[in-house]
Amino acid sequence: MARLYQRPIFVLSVFAVPLLTFVAPSWAGLSGVAPCWAVLWLMPWSLLDGPLSGFIAGIALGLMLDGLSTGGFSHLPALMFLGWWWGWIGKRGALIERSLNLGLLAWLGTMLIGMSFFLQIWFLNNDFSGPLLRYWSFHTTLSQSILTGLLAPMMSSWLMLIWRRRSSI
Amino acid sequence: MRISPWAVLFRLRSFQRLTLWLLLPGFLLFVRLSKGAGLSDLYAIVSRPFWPGSAQREWLQSAYQLEQSSKLRLLEQDNARLRDLLELKKAATGSTSLISATVISRSYKGWWHQFLLSKGALNGIQKGDVVIGPGGLVGKIESATPLTSRVKLLTAPGSQIGVWVPRTKQHGMLIGMGTSRPQLVFLEKDPRVLPGDLVSTSPASSIMPPNLPVGVIQSIDIRALPAPSAAIQLIAPSEAIDWVQVQIR
Repeated sequence: MARLYQRPIFVLSVFAVPLLTFVAPSWAGLSGVAPCWAVLWLMPWSLLDGPLSGFIAGIALGLMLDGLSTGGFSHLPALMFLGWWWGWIGKRGALIERSLNLGLLAWLGTMLIGMSFFLQIWFLNNDFSGPLLRYWSFHTTLSQSILTGLLAPMMSSWLMLIWRRRSSI
Repeated sequence: MRISPWAVLFRLRSFQRLTLWLLLPGFLLFVRLSKGAGLSDLYAIVSRPFWPGSAQREWLQSAYQLEQSSKLRLLEQDNARLRDLLELKKAATGSTSLISATVISRSYKGWWHQFLLSKGALNGIQKGDVVIGPGGLVGKIESATPLTSRVKLLTAPGSQIGVWVPRTKQHGMLIGMGTSRPQLVFLEKDPRVLPGDLVSTSPASSIMPPNLPVGVIQSIDIRALPAPSAAIQLIAPSEAIDWVQVQIR
């Protein structure tokens, strides 16, 4: 494993996620829906650094992003699982760096986050579970996952490249 | 066995490294529990040069005048009715004041429908305060850090406020569905409302200020269960608002 967590500058790069969530650049969004920045950062980190580090990074990101949103549902369960899962995939075989594979992993991850939000809304807030809410959830999940899947080959592979070069593996 | 001073030093260093990693979860937990204190404030300080300037003021003022005129008409009607019924002589608004704030971060279409405002607890903003944009009600304050505050928009899933239709004097509940048009659920079986009717905050509400314009009825679904509902087009557009006013208590 790459031991990225030993480099403070790599660890500090996690703060790009809340910053991008705040700034929400309109050119990166699709009709107002922003890509899932947490996935774009967490995926390369876990793939290079292993399941435990990915799991902890997932918790850290989840806590930060939950603090910055109005609440109702939480990032934590999905991001914890994704950090561990991507770390497990990265540890298992050859390094994943093909654009298509990265895009697919990011797409699956964002779908999973969307589904976890939908299930949390569904179970925690029974009183407003109308059809409109379902359409909105699926629309947001689909558009966000497609957008993240398209951006991942560019941004995540770039992050992986930098991190691998600087930690020399 | 004798331990060399180098080994002691090495152990101390590894322990110091560990303390950093123990402090980090503590800090993150603080961020989570305080709803982003520190991070939001840091963002407010860093993004200060990029806040929208006063160029939008004129456009805002014309929208504000329109809002004021419709509000005035509603207030006059309401006042006359109340005076007739209860011989009430006090004005509707009590000891409240308005603070202008800039929207420094917005998300209005994804999972969260929220604004981050440039003023916070230091300016007296508290959770539950009402946020008014050009054209009417925008949302309510969900949390406040020292320098920033977070607004939950009317379109956010889970946002619920009591409103009424001034023309027919019927009450309903405005429920955010995540889409850009929140749903108005009527309390009566037979809402005599028509598309185009104005929806405003209820004059009977003790939480919201009375008679703030909210939106216009766009379509009505009489057969909806358990009660008839209507889609509301909000007057204040979330994607274009750069300045809002917070009504503090």
